[in-house]
Amino acid sequence: MPTGLDRLQHIVVLMMENRSFDHMLGSLAAVNPQIDGITSQLSNPDTTGAQIKPQPLADFQGQLDPDPDHHFPAVDLQIFGGNTSANRAPNMQGFVKSYFNQQRDVKHSQKIMYYFPKEKLPVLTTLALEFAVFNRWFSSIPGPTICNRAFAHYGTSFGRVDLNPIYLNEPFKSIYTRLTTATPKRTAKVYYYDTTSSTMEVANLLQNQPELFGTYEQFLSDCENGELPDYSFIEPNYSDHETDGGEEIANDQHPDHHVQAGELFIATVYNGIKQNPALWASTALLITYDEHGGIYDHVPPPSCTPDQFTASANSTGTGSEFKFDRLGVRVPSILISPWIPKGTVVNRVFDHASIPATVTKFFLGDYSPRSPRETSADIFVEPKSGAVDPERNLLSLTTMRTDCPDFDV
Amino acid sequence: MAVIHVPRPPKQAMNPQRPVSALLKTQIEHLQQAELRLPVKYQTSIYVNAIRTEREASEYISAVTEAIHRAHAEAATKRRKMPPKRKRVLEIAAAAERKRPRKRKSISKKKRVAKKKGHSKQKSRGKK
Repeated sequence: MPTGLDRLQHIVVLMMENRSFDHMLGSLAAVNPQIDGITSQLSNPDTTGAQIKPQPLADFQGQLDPDPDHHFPAVDLQIFGGNTSANRAPNMQGFVKSYFNQQRDVKHSQKIMYYFPKEKLPVLTTLALEFAVFNRWFSSIPGPTICNRAFAHYGTSFGRVDLNPIYLNEPFKSIYTRLTTATPKRTAKVYYYDTTSSTMEVANLLQNQPELFGTYEQFLSDCENGELPDYSFIEPNYSDHETDGGEEIANDQHPDHHVQAGELFIATVYNGIKQNPALWASTALLITYDEHGGIYDHVPPPSCTPDQFTASANSTGTGSEFKFDRLGVRVPSILISPWIPKGTVVNRVFDHASIPATVTKFFLGDYSPRSPRETSADIFVEPKSGAVDPERNLLSLTTMRTDCPDFDV
Repeated sequence: MAVIHVPRPPKQAMNPQRPVSALLKTQIEHLQQAELRLPVKYQTSIYVNAIRTEREASEYISAVTEAIHRAHAEAATKRRKMPPKRKRVLEIAAAAERKRPRKRKSISKKKRVAKKKGHSKQKSRGKK
């Protein structure tokens, strides 16, 4: 049993908002050619037919206004470039056209192709270069936030592709319920930023199991006191708001919230874990994004095992039904642990169903019932039981690293 | 390993007057459905259709989230105070046994004697 895996006791997931892989990490292709990022061959046609290349001109705020459309029909256009035929293949040629639809401004629509130079995102890019970056982590469906987050909690969105709430009495339990009702009992928590930001998982968990929730302040305290649960899911701050303690700026990086606020948040999550040496040695932190936010990425999402649900033609808004047999657009995802070799690049395909799949397998072993999408999803941490495939195990170092970065926040 | 400095966003990045995004609108809708399931005493008096800014959204979100937590906390407190069912049955039975003794009706001595004699006559009739 590899030492890093043997010592692993906690899995933490931080899910940010609405940014694509190329937009945030595309610049790293120039630093590490193994990272599938921006190259000079990439482009998208605008509505005049001109080929618009990605450019390192992304701004922290004020540029992607209006918020790029990331609902199912718009993402369909972005992925398939407007091709609606039965046997179409994704070509990732519809991003500029899609953004044009919102303001009818040719110049403005081209900004959807902008990406951040490495220097503007010191936290995310450092973590991607220092730990394990996933070249093929996709959002679970080509659609908006709520459904994608549902895959992270339940392994499915129960047939939804829109922003409607997930209802009660669905056939598959959340990862939190599975863990807290297991024998022996495991522990899990959803840490939302504060009660004013609250959680996006409202319909089921907050209404029925509020004891599962804590605040970000509690997360930091739990890290310090060594009381982190087996599994933690962290939500960023979704709004600019005032509290008794002062102003709280939104740090989810959802356009048009300031991207640097999100960088700061990611750094404090990382620091919170790292500052407790015992916790640092026994925790794997996954940073990911719920979906691409309508922003350009060049990698076509692959097809996948269909879920047992189908979204009707009415609900997709495209005139065709959707069997959840294709993933959404690629998002930045990084796995952090002092047992991961520097510069690890992972090319296996993952999506957010991999989160409950991994956590379930690691803490509970075999479990059913689970959705077809979850049971077929790859896992990013190998289970401790059974033989460990060295090709798959990312926590592969025999000695813990002492050269991991520190962030001054 | 060098320590990496993380710049802070400028003060003007904060804008609670920013119009609510589709995501926040969705969160509000979900929370409104949750609010309507709460007993009336926990519900807010905020008209969600009038919410336009992130500040207004955050006030509503905070109020309902705290109300949900409060409702559950108060139910849990009430549950802790209530003894379990079996114990309640035993308590009822014990209370029944401890019932105060039946008070004799106040009847005159004459009637008490007559009553006794009547009782004796019945007995003697039976013997014959």
